[in-house]
Amino acid sequence: VKAFTNANARDLTQAVTLIRQARDTHRSVAVAGGGSDLLGMMKEGLIAPDVVVRLASIRSLDHVTVKNGVTIGGLTTLDALAANAAIRRDYRVLAEAAESVATPQIRNVATIAGNVCQRPWCWYYRNGFKCLKNGGNTCYSVSGENEFHAIFGGGPSYIVHPSDTAPALVALDATFRLAGPAGERRVAAADFFTLPTVDASRENVLKDGEVLAEIVLPPRAAGTRSTYHKILDREAWTHAVVSAAVVLDMNKDVCRSARIVLGGVAPIPWRLPEVEKLLAGKRITPEIAAAAGEAAVAGAKPLAKNSYKVPLTRNMVRRTLEEIAKA
Amino acid sequence: MAKRRISRRRFLEGTGTVLTVAAAAPALRAQTPAGAPAAPHTTITIALNGAQRRLDVEDRWTLAEALRDHAGLTGTKIGCDRGECGACTVLVDGKPVYSCSQLAVWMDGRSIQTVEGLTKNGELSALQKSFVAHDAPQCGFCTSGQLMAATALLSANPHPSADEARAAMAGNICRCSNYNHYIAATIAAAQGSTDAGRASQARQRDGGDPESVAVQPAAIKVSSATSPVAALNVVGHDAPRIDAAERVSGKAKYTADIMLPGMLYARVLRSPHPHARVRRIDVSKARALPGVKAIVTHENCSVVWGAGSISGGAQYNDEVKKITKHRRYAFNNPVRFVGDPVAAVAAIDRHVAEEALQLIAVDYEPLPFVLDPEEALKPDAVKIWPEGNLSPTARNDFQPIGQKRGSVEEGFKASDRVFEERFSTSFVHNAQMEPRSAVAHWEGDKLTIYTPTGGIANCRTDMARDLGIPAENVRVVCQYMGGNFGNKNQNQDADLIAAALAKETSAPVKLELSRKEDFIGMHGRWPTAQYYKVGVKSDGTLQAIQLRGFSGMGPYRKNSGNIAGVEIYQCPNIETTISPVYTNRTVSGNFRGPEYPQGFFGIQSMMDDVAAKMKMDPVEFIIKNMTRKAGDQTPYTNYSLEECIRRGAEAFEWKKRWKSTPGSDPGPIKRGAGTSFMAFRAGLGRSSAVIRLDGSGKYSVHVGVTDVGAGAKTTMGLIAAEALGVKLSDLEVVWGDTDRCPYSVGESGSRTTIMTGYAVVEAARDLKKQIAEKGMPKGSDVLIGNATPNPTLQGKVRSTFGAHFVEVEVDVDLGRARVVKYLAVHDCGRIINPLTARSQIKGGATMGIGMALHEDLLYDRRSGTPLTPGYYGARVSTHRDAPEIDVIFIESDDGLGPFGAKSMGESSKVPSPAAVANAVANAIGHRMKDLPITREKLVAALAAENGGRS
Repeated sequence: VKAFTNANARDLTQAVTLIRQARDTHRSVAVAGGGSDLLGMMKEGLIAPDVVVRLASIRSLDHVTVKNGVTIGGLTTLDALAANAAIRRDYRVLAEAAESVATPQIRNVATIAGNVCQRPWCWYYRNGFKCLKNGGNTCYSVSGENEFHAIFGGGPSYIVHPSDTAPALVALDATFRLAGPAGERRVAAADFFTLPTVDASRENVLKDGEVLAEIVLPPRAAGTRSTYHKILDREAWTHAVVSAAVVLDMNKDVCRSARIVLGGVAPIPWRLPEVEKLLAGKRITPEIAAAAGEAAVAGAKPLAKNSYKVPLTRNMVRRTLEEIAKA
Repeated sequence: MAKRRISRRRFLEGTGTVLTVAAAAPALRAQTPAGAPAAPHTTITIALNGAQRRLDVEDRWTLAEALRDHAGLTGTKIGCDRGECGACTVLVDGKPVYSCSQLAVWMDGRSIQTVEGLTKNGELSALQKSFVAHDAPQCGFCTSGQLMAATALLSANPHPSADEARAAMAGNICRCSNYNHYIAATIAAAQGSTDAGRASQARQRDGGDPESVAVQPAAIKVSSATSPVAALNVVGHDAPRIDAAERVSGKAKYTADIMLPGMLYARVLRSPHPHARVRRIDVSKARALPGVKAIVTHENCSVVWGAGSISGGAQYNDEVKKITKHRRYAFNNPVRFVGDPVAAVAAIDRHVAEEALQLIAVDYEPLPFVLDPEEALKPDAVKIWPEGNLSPTARNDFQPIGQKRGSVEEGFKASDRVFEERFSTSFVHNAQMEPRSAVAHWEGDKLTIYTPTGGIANCRTDMARDLGIPAENVRVVCQYMGGNFGNKNQNQDADLIAAALAKETSAPVKLELSRKEDFIGMHGRWPTAQYYKVGVKSDGTLQAIQLRGFSGMGPYRKNSGNIAGVEIYQCPNIETTISPVYTNRTVSGNFRGPEYPQGFFGIQSMMDDVAAKMKMDPVEFIIKNMTRKAGDQTPYTNYSLEECIRRGAEAFEWKKRWKSTPGSDPGPIKRGAGTSFMAFRAGLGRSSAVIRLDGSGKYSVHVGVTDVGAGAKTTMGLIAAEALGVKLSDLEVVWGDTDRCPYSVGESGSRTTIMTGYAVVEAARDLKKQIAEKGMPKGSDVLIGNATPNPTLQGKVRSTFGAHFVEVEVDVDLGRARVVKYLAVHDCGRIINPLTARSQIKGGATMGIGMALHEDLLYDRRSGTPLTPGYYGARVSTHRDAPEIDVIFIESDDGLGPFGAKSMGESSKVPSPAAVANAVANAIGHRMKDLPITREKLVAALAAENGGRS
């Protein structure tokens, strides 16, 4: 690994300053949350920063605060998040998503902000192909090995968004607080992630030098049930082949409203508005769950080697709804 | 808290402890070369195993690097350096963290505990003791990480269930796959007990899936009905490894832990092309980088890698070296696969060496390439070698390999039914936890090479032959080794490259391969395509078996490429034609039962399918058709195959679990059972042993084993103790150093116990004879018993037998296949050490499950680039993928080998993939013909069967 300077940020203001200073002196900069993935990318030569600005040293962004909903500091570890009693009780989908990530060792350092903002795990990108995500102008998966690629929202890049917590946060209607050189702004989780048609080299709206500082979850409505189901490729430590974050606002056994967001199938957390409409005002019977499964895959455009994701998605949505209805 | 320190002076003002460490650490900044700017570095303060330490660290150092290279704590291992395997796990403020994936500079003010901190005042912790008692560490390379994860678990949850332990340790891969013993040891430690039986009871109380719980004790020993075997004095009793304390305390020194004064670090530049001519290599910029000491390429290094070439190892003699048409060099031009070495650099530290690689400019002329073995044999395929892509034998014989008995044409005519089917298996990497490395050190004309080899004697011969120096001038040392699994009973190109660089620089050189390099630059199981045609009588009696097979060997023929399995059936007419084929993929080689697990998957899936189509119970079909004499003519030294199958079927409750109508479970969760059986070589052969007895009464057993993880040192010690009539504690075992040990056959082919173990028996006999003649030595006298027996079999074949029984659960909606019950029944002759034997059987079976269900090395077809090298990409099994494996040993003693012991290490993996695949077919009613049986294949197959619906 090329020599670089590490700079521990004391607070958000200093972090933004450190990033700006590096840029002003024409030094490339990378920000580190937990750092696991960042170091891997540096060792693979995917990035070679001159300066690493460490955010995990910002103590004020490592918190879960319950007040008018919940505010989660971006530097909260996935382990802390999954273990947090308020999150487990009221935002189960997020706790389950967080504890499905990678391994205990990674969850002990990985931050929620880092998980949400992590770069794709497409094997072309990770193996250093000069693809759309890596300064090139081709997505190698389109006519290559695309077993794990997008069946929704693909083009010109067909990556799938790698985050488990992102579908949960979109399903929970979270708001992200971003901080950067131009100050702060707030973005709805659903608007944070961007399709490759917007900018194929990126996965979200973060501007240069901007970081995800905090995540705000709205108060939980009484009767909310939520869960995260994830299909892995072996029994531990893989990204989602297909996952589903389901949040149902229930009045006894009738679904008042639903938010269903898929992971592993699209370049962004993939919300299913048609399925949500279909469920609203209904009892979750096996027939409704099956219809929801069908609706979930309407419009899927599988590539040559990932059509198996279509039945997988259909069955996953149906089964998750059946199970949550029983809960 | 962290203070940036530019001057070395401030560092030297640190605590005395750090000073000592710094003096012992050769690669510290003291070596910053003239003209090179010092890399940014920072002084940090940490509580390291309870003691406050100040360390000056480069900002780019990982915590693992700082601990290992600069704090002298090499108990923390680097298995992948990417947060995929867990070998580097340490506790940071009490929580397990991958030290390879954290920067040391981030640790300022934190408390760090490593494996070295678990031992208090020289006493192992309760968990460490439990690991020893349960034989949790095999090769030991993942052990420190497992210990740290388990330590954190027990402090947070003093009474975990087995499933909780698996979840907490899911980030710690064990390629020996001794997952059962790690979990049992952790739970036993939680109960303050080191007794294996109590851990087993604890599992039953878990309340988890009752089927995943071992109902019986972990292993049952049964003496064969035909050959009663009673335990001897030492042999046959559970014995913890003699070096277990070293393996659980971080004291065991593996090759990468070797530090020599003035040592340089080497890195290899590898081809990014699957096939290309190297037009020009410009090393001038790299050579000019301060700190770079030497660069070797094909232009200035023409060393032949003999053991890497045709047929490899012992078959590669001087004559073959002269005549071979397809010679493999340490650096080849053209390069023939992505990962073929192009250049290597030695520099003052690993970062400088890595930077130098970036500065080497290589002008490649890309050539057409071929990845698939069947494609490679087509007339218009690119020729990887001038003679074409059918790989020749060592004697330049360009013919497929195979066997023939009777006439298959006649056999098919005589058959009532004939079946045909194609099966395929994929490239699965050995993935031993220790990445390959080598430390080479020349003293005058004498080379010492520290390397993870399973055969110090063969490695030494190979090194001498390849470097053109006398064998006396080569010393090979391997004290501990992080897993073998094949292709290590010889030298590696890393050894040669390190030796070349050490010669060039007149300094010791350490070459470390990354995990990715180990995956793509070294060897894995050859992928196969297998076409079977089988004829049977209406009662199910076999009449003819024909196999046409293709094995993808990569561009260099390292090993046989054979496909085994047909020979374990009685059948009057057989014909196999196997083509080992060159491709532009990573080289294939021996991996735990080289030609067996993939061949057994093919033939036993085929036969299971035939039985299903004949409406026969596969157990009945097997008993009707299995081998009873080798090749249907030569008797076995003993025969227990039928007993293995019958006892296994009974203990497994086969009739209850097997579905006479496959796929008949209602609903999406379907269960089914499968079986397969095994006969595997257990021949005799030449090896040596020396036992020295001195005037103090101390016995020293010198054997040329390295102990790859199977427990050879302990096994040799037990055999010696039994043969000498002394206690294990009365003797020491001397191993792993060609200067101190006699020839050994080397740890491959499951031969060490049989061959070197028998040499120990004979050496003991010799020593006892001398004692009888001369009396016990006194004062400075010594007696030396030695033996190099080369026993042969008189017209018989010696084989080990076994049968595996597997129940799987398949969720057809979600394509999830999971093993819920597994029974392995083995006749390995007499069991020398039941404790380590269980580890061997469970590990092999568990590895086979991974091969059956998920492991693969996937390639991009357009660029010829491997896409999934590494534990994450290749989906190597984790704690959560490993079910409980029940083991039954049927012991026998055929009067041969040491006390009747037979082979074991490979045989436990051989039947596993077939048994799992057969269980899947029984569960879902659909035959899965291509390994691995991944989720995507299962879902796609079931969707296709339902007309696109599932």
